[in-house]
Amino acid sequence: MTQSRCVLTRRDFIRGTVGTTLGISLLGPKWVEAMGKETPRSRVLIARDRHALNPDLGVNTEALSTMLEGLLTGITGEKNTTDAWLRLVSPQDVIGLVPTPLMNPTHDELIALVTDSLVRAGIPRKNIRSAQGRSVDLEPISALISLPGLKAHWLTGIGTVLKNYILYSGAPRNYHFQDSAKLGEIWNLPQVKGKTRLILVDALHPVCDKGPQVDPRYRWAYNGLIAGTDPVAVDSVCLKILQTKRDLLRGEPWPLSPPPICIEAADKVYNLGNSDFKNIDVQAIGWTEGLLI
Amino acid sequence: MKGMMGIMAMAAALIAVPAVLFSAGGSDIMHTDTISLPERIDQWRLAEPPRRIDKTNIFDYMNGAGELYLSYNFHHLTAYTYTDKSDNEILVELYHMDASRDAFGLLSLDWGGEPVDIGGFPTETSDTSDTSGKGIVPSSRALYGMGLLRAWSDNLYLRIMAYKETPESKNGILALGRMIAEGRKNPSPPELLGVVPPSGDPQWQVRADRTAYFYSHLVLNTIFYLSHENILNLNHSTEALMITVEKAQQGAPKQSVPLLVIKYPDPARALAALTEFTGAYLPDRHTKSHLETGSDHQAYVPVEDGWLGYRLHGRYLALVFKCPDPESARRILGFAVFQ
Repeated sequence: MTQSRCVLTRRDFIRGTVGTTLGISLLGPKWVEAMGKETPRSRVLIARDRHALNPDLGVNTEALSTMLEGLLTGITGEKNTTDAWLRLVSPQDVIGLVPTPLMNPTHDELIALVTDSLVRAGIPRKNIRSAQGRSVDLEPISALISLPGLKAHWLTGIGTVLKNYILYSGAPRNYHFQDSAKLGEIWNLPQVKGKTRLILVDALHPVCDKGPQVDPRYRWAYNGLIAGTDPVAVDSVCLKILQTKRDLLRGEPWPLSPPPICIEAADKVYNLGNSDFKNIDVQAIGWTEGLLI
Repeated sequence: MKGMMGIMAMAAALIAVPAVLFSAGGSDIMHTDTISLPERIDQWRLAEPPRRIDKTNIFDYMNGAGELYLSYNFHHLTAYTYTDKSDNEILVELYHMDASRDAFGLLSLDWGGEPVDIGGFPTETSDTSDTSGKGIVPSSRALYGMGLLRAWSDNLYLRIMAYKETPESKNGILALGRMIAEGRKNPSPPELLGVVPPSGDPQWQVRADRTAYFYSHLVLNTIFYLSHENILNLNHSTEALMITVEKAQQGAPKQSVPLLVIKYPDPARALAALTEFTGAYLPDRHTKSHLETGSDHQAYVPVEDGWLGYRLHGRYLALVFKCPDPESARRILGFAVFQ
């Protein structure tokens, strides 16, 4: 009966009790045991170039390459792209690239750039494959590189990092309703857990409303790539960018609705990373005008 | 002008007015694809045969966006792609919905954009006693913005989009929109809008460009989040209206209050929904008063973001949120007039 179950509502967001309510409703008493577990600080890098997109919205691959190099060396602390990749993956890895296929898809140029960059780092091309979709066999894949497109999502608030693996669940529709809080559990599936070496968000031409279906009124040339190894922290930064853009477009607060409960749940319930900006270090590389964060 | 007349002649040769049957439920529309777009229009050429998407493959076509259209009684979609010599594209999507009110609902989710006239027959009724929609929704049936045309044409919802906006693409989009709407009826907005007649309240004004019509809690949550669970028992047998009411405040931003009006199939289901809502949303505020089917009931409750008010009247439930005081809640609930 309604009165005896824990229902997450608007009032939880206002009171700041989302994490508690989600934890109890998703995990029950086990959540209380996991509460208070500390996570190390997370780093998220944003690289932008005002010329990353041409006036006709074509991709400037030279600019993109420079942005990628800055992110890889920044994330890993290595001096060049090859050493940076080899800090994240090895030539023995079978690497799955996971782009957004439809509705504000990941730019082909970025996928090609990442692939070529990996090959130049010594990864055999035959060891690099597309790993997006329901029918992907994840068993032989030892490393995942997530390449989602930045977009709001009408069902889950944001449809970027945490949602990128939804097809691995085998039942994506299940995660469209109140169970969108459970998106984090997909990252803990045995065939997925621990494999993600890098999240690289295509933020060249994001969508801040009505996603995933594109409405050009809510799309803009952010000209950026966003990278990190903590999926929750990266999604939190993405959320901040979308929210700030929305507020600017309307000239007043225009909160994403529904609020993306998947992010807080991924932090507080599934322990996948940091959603609190107090624990996230954000660094911007390159063009800072319109950074939105 | 010659070119336009040529296009219209071509269109007349290609477009047949669809045979339409209406039942009392408004859901017996024949879903035949009697709209056929031309091979060429100005510099735009049909790139491939049109695609038909229905409920079995809508998620393959548009992922989770498909849930939106399913929530509005989607029947099928016909998609056309036009290209020019530079490979610029125009995507034409004709969403065939079960009824006119479904297509209206889709347009109502966003009244932004430049109103444009794409024709069709004049509005069905000139009955001045028909107040459905007057004052609480814009009169536009087609809106254009940054390369996207969205329109409501009887049971069709149109989305025609150029990936790259140019004057040529805009002309092509509007010409296609006119072709599609040619000869189609323009029914009135849903009857439910008539429960909020123009109020003339001196303090609170309806923000017509924020009025939305829908059936699903998923849509409600995109407008005003209440809960990820369906705590108001919304489904295809219910109709809902979200209205935004504003009050100007000197030296401060306008105060904005959402008014939600829901029509259930019968009073018992309205009562059950109110019970579900108070149990889920107000478990710490829920009064123990006994509610009976058929009785009117109003209550005002303070919560974290202001006063919440609700009013149950027969098969109707009205709720108002974020009110500054109980008097405002009572006043705004009074905007809904239930026969």
